[in-house]
Amino acid sequence: MNAIEVDDLVKRYGDFEAVRGISFRVKRGEIFAFLGPNGAGKTTTVHVLTTLLKPTSGGATVAGHDVVREPDAVRRKIGIVFQDMSLDSELTAYENMLIHGRIYGLGGNELKDKIERLLKFVELWDFRDRQVKTFSGGMQRRLEIARSLLHEPEVLFLDEPTIGLDPQTRAHIWDYIRAMKEEHDMTVFLTTHYMDEAEMLADRIAIMDHGKIIAEGTADELKGLIGNDVIYLRIKAPEELRCLKADFIRGCKLLPDGRVRLDVENAAGALPRLFELASSGGIKILEVTYHRPTLNDVFLHLTGREIREDADEREAMKVKMRTRMRMWGRRR
Amino acid sequence: MRVFTTMVYRELKRFSHSRARVIGSIVNPLIWLIFFGKGWSGVFNNPMAASIFGGVDYMTYLVPGIVAMTVFNMSFMQGITIIWDKQFGFLKEILVAPASRTEAILGRITGGAIMAMMQGIIILALSFALADLKLSGVLPALGMAFLVGIAIAGMGVAIALRMTSMEGFQMIIMMIMLPMTFLSGAFYPINTMPDWMQWLSKVNPLTYAVDGSRYYLAGVTPTFGMTVDWLVLGGLAALLAGIAALEFRKATID
Repeated sequence: MNAIEVDDLVKRYGDFEAVRGISFRVKRGEIFAFLGPNGAGKTTTVHVLTTLLKPTSGGATVAGHDVVREPDAVRRKIGIVFQDMSLDSELTAYENMLIHGRIYGLGGNELKDKIERLLKFVELWDFRDRQVKTFSGGMQRRLEIARSLLHEPEVLFLDEPTIGLDPQTRAHIWDYIRAMKEEHDMTVFLTTHYMDEAEMLADRIAIMDHGKIIAEGTADELKGLIGNDVIYLRIKAPEELRCLKADFIRGCKLLPDGRVRLDVENAAGALPRLFELASSGGIKILEVTYHRPTLNDVFLHLTGREIREDADEREAMKVKMRTRMRMWGRRR
Repeated sequence: MRVFTTMVYRELKRFSHSRARVIGSIVNPLIWLIFFGKGWSGVFNNPMAASIFGGVDYMTYLVPGIVAMTVFNMSFMQGITIIWDKQFGFLKEILVAPASRTEAILGRITGGAIMAMMQGIIILALSFALADLKLSGVLPALGMAFLVGIAIAGMGVAIALRMTSMEGFQMIIMMIMLPMTFLSGAFYPINTMPDWMQWLSKVNPLTYAVDGSRYYLAGVTPTFGMTVDWLVLGGLAALLAGIAALEFRKATID
């Protein structure tokens, strides 16, 4: 059974179509990523799948339940980390966990044990009695991840889980996501505009742009769309060094440093055949390196634009604004 | 019931964590009581004034009004700060939970009303040093304070759910809180006001709480009668909390 099934989903705001007829399947137990620039419709899709927004047309099921007809059944089976912080910053970490657990119908020692285990898992147990407003961005994210796991969801939604965090913290959050997926055997649906994040975490990726899915597959499959991987070989040939010829080799060049450069459709597929070719020709391969296209290259190839633009800068600005508003709110 | 109690718990915790709010909510009514109350007490220290203020001294007349005002301000702020939850995401956490929204919002309103009532208790306790109050009137007056708290917190929630940003926030406080306070009869009797102001006073829930608790605490003859006061307060509490609950059930994130 699929954890998420989406068919021809459309979400319109007045004249603006945020999501323009997308369909996809997420298999049980996989990490599936929506990759795309800001404003691509990723968060809107998450909000529809988590029953916060009603679709204009089309349908979706999450954990076997229809998001429109059975919202409560869906809500019981999902966990969410929203893009914007949704903790109660006036309360302590522990109180945030406690309130979440009770709202989801947990209680007693079971809840206490779970809170302790999860806060230890995200290394916040020592900070449990501190107000969330004193936490760094990374600590808040970790707390939100812990909170989203409290009721043991079948499907976990992570909307831009590492946005605005420094590289070290991001890598740390990735470790948590991988560890918890292993431990809890969950399906994870994540959105991101970071290529490395999608690549590091996701089993499969859908690239989204302007409300549409423009490509879908594993990171390797997506890169295969571009073709022209580049392979560098250092070889020892019985006779004079010359170019290799085969149907899967699109181009070949001898480099001044003695290496051979091959252009191939897909290095993953070409390498085994290259080894065969070499051994049948009595050529010894001493060293292989290859340059793969990045997902950014894929996005560029599909849309003619870079995925990044200045998304990060805008995000940093937004965070700053929010902090300022929050301070204003507290002064009151 | 669990969601309801959890939300009440949240309100109480939130309040106990913010020292500034606790102190501010006590200091503000004390300033009114002492500087405003003592200031006018001298002016009204004559038999003519005593007859205007129902036969009691001005301080005794003022205290029930200030207590009601405290509860009103506090519960309105508690209700309307749901806009912060909306702005800063905690609301989403509730909306996406498999929990009864009605229970959640009623819990929030009740938590706000309890907080407001506790402020009222503190002010009332301090007021015994300043005015000639009846101890036997404390419990029924607090009952009225609780109903006002529910009604006004519900009103605050209903207003805040319709607000899309915090820009109108200061404006709403000016346009709603100040006039309602002045029209409640907390500072002066409403039956000497111009007719149109009297009419506005009568649609103000706070008026009935001031009227009723002034009877219980100071022994001043109520303008509307106790039955009317209780019925209006109870009805408004149910109505406004109900409106808030209906609105919250329809609430979406955009």
